Amino acid sequence: MATIVETVNLKKTYMLGKVPVYALRGVNLKVESGDFVAIVGPSGSGKSTLLNMIGALDKPTEGKVLIDGVDVSSLNDDRLAELRRRVGFVFQFFNLIPRLKANENVELPLTIVGVSKGERKRKTFELLKAVGLGERVDHNPTEMSGGEQQRVAIARALANDPRFLLLDEPTGNIDSKTADMLVGLLKGLNEKRGVTIIMITHDMNVARHAKRVIRLLDGKVDETGITAKGD
Amino acid sequence: MNVVDIFSYAFSGIRLRKLRAALTTLGIVIGIAAIVALLSLSEGFRVAITSQFERGFALDVLTVTTGRGLGFGLGDGVSSGTSDEYLTLNDSRAIYGISGVKLSTAVTSKSVSLSSGDLSFTITAVGVNFSEYSQLYSSSFVAGNGSVPDSSENNSIVLGARIVDPWQNGTVFARVGDYINVSWISGSITRPVVRSYVFHVVGVLNEIGGFSLGGPSDVKVYIPITTAQAIFETDGVNLILVQLVNGEQSTIDSVTASINTLFDEKVTVMSPAAMLNTFSSILSTIQLFLTGLAGISLLVAGIGIMNIMIVSVMERTREIGILKSLGMKNRTVLVIFLCEAVIIGLLGAVIGIAFGFGLSNFVSRFGLALLGTGNGMLGGQGTGGGLSITPVLTPMVIGGALAFGVATSVLFGLYPARRASKLKPVEALRYE
Repeated sequence: MATIVETVNLKKTYMLGKVPVYALRGVNLKVESGDFVAIVGPSGSGKSTLLNMIGALDKPTEGKVLIDGVDVSSLNDDRLAELRRRVGFVFQFFNLIPRLKANENVELPLTIVGVSKGERKRKTFELLKAVGLGERVDHNPTEMSGGEQQRVAIARALANDPRFLLLDEPTGNIDSKTADMLVGLLKGLNEKRGVTIIMITHDMNVARHAKRVIRLLDGKVDETGITAKGD
Repeated sequence: MNVVDIFSYAFSGIRLRKLRAALTTLGIVIGIAAIVALLSLSEGFRVAITSQFERGFALDVLTVTTGRGLGFGLGDGVSSGTSDEYLTLNDSRAIYGISGVKLSTAVTSKSVSLSSGDLSFTITAVGVNFSEYSQLYSSSFVAGNGSVPDSSENNSIVLGARIVDPWQNGTVFARVGDYINVSWISGSITRPVVRSYVFHVVGVLNEIGGFSLGGPSDVKVYIPITTAQAIFETDGVNLILVQLVNGEQSTIDSVTASINTLFDEKVTVMSPAAMLNTFSSILSTIQLFLTGLAGISLLVAGIGIMNIMIVSVMERTREIGILKSLGMKNRTVLVIFLCEAVIIGLLGAVIGIAFGFGLSNFVSRFGLALLGTGNGMLGGQGTGGGLSITPVLTPMVIGGALAFGVATSVLFGLYPARRASKLKPVEALRYE
């Protein structure tokens, strides 16, 4: 299996006013193609920071993030933007653009990359159908439930056939029944389509569906907590 | 991301805040409209004046006056000399002797009182040599009724078209064949002497129109110059009109030099071209000044754009974070926000041009009509004798206004757009 994401002694320090905050204190991580990793840990353990690093949204203070073998720190803003096109983000608060309809939101990453209009329409419809929203393509996000919005966000994240999906608390803002459905969807994507998934959650009910669970504690991987699941 | 997509995305951003965008656009509209209205009106003014000028002064006619008069706009009007030196009929004859001169005729004028029966009013009486003057203004100094006499009877008078019915209400003042009184007050203010003379109306001029810068006018009366000199008790004249054999600059220059030499540099020789240039440059200065004033409103509008754009960038910080997380480059973010500013600027400019031109038409029709009647001299109702200005919208004004509107929006949209493009994705996504 090819390694898609690798972090080497990854450190990130923020300045909160004049006080340094050591969000990550040396994380070593390897995610291979087809993997489904859940990253768990209490608040402030550095989960979101780690995700931002892996998604090339932020640069490390020390150490390395390698995506497909490329060191993120070495890239300028334009190259980083191009790299992000190969990463599918899903956020806790969906982060859909409210004035755009569901299909327009899904279309957006394709537009950014410069896909032709016809191809965009075709792919958007296909993706929305895949997440079970074939009938709600021209609704505004404001008219949708949390679960529906999150499925639009997943469809959007998949638009450019990313190397991997990055999900930040995808079920944090939706009810447990919908969350189950969503996890089922992710599992299906991972198993049937071979989509690599890295997901942050603090809900163990969600995390147990992953192939691997990594526990973060105080900015480090809690080695004792690593579970290689085989269910 | 291609241009159409960028444009439509920017447009969706504007649609999100219609009222705000509309108000900002209104700022640009007002600025551009003010500029366009002022420029098209003053351009129309220039055209109107120029055409009047060309009608009043043929290009091949020089005007000789004493002193350093204002030079233009006086034509055969009120006395222009301020020095003790004055021109006489002999001077006119002397000028006639200069090579390159086709015709030379003296003109003098004074304000007189005309009366016929119970009716009377004050008017400018112009003393001319009828045959020379009608040669000079062969197209406008033409009698519609009666005739312009060749050899002047001493008491012949020719009326401008509007003198017949000066109040334009059907009250006929005088017709061809009538006898009217011309009174002139001489002597000092403390001991005025009123002299009255009877004149025989031999002709009424065709309507000339306009307000007559130089040349024959609808609101003046014409009497033989020798009679005028006798009445006004002077052997001087106000000015001498010199027609040249042709209108070429070399002829104008040589005759001007000869006249200056002849009178020992004590006269002012003006050519219509020079007068027009003087006038044009004055108007240009005024135009520049007015445009500058209107430009201030555009500056204010620009600040309005900057304001709305900064607010918009702040409000949409999260959206910018999303766009960047989806792989949009900084440059594209910049262009999208700049595009929003440009759409506002362009829209404002287009509406502003239309609105400004409409405004200038409105002003020229209703506003300047008042100004027009002021010229009537006869307490005139109506605008017959007034200066009618048709606003002129040149392609340069349109292009300039468009460019100005767009430039303003780009200039003031640049800072907010740069701010948007420089946002860090993580921080932007965290923004509430």
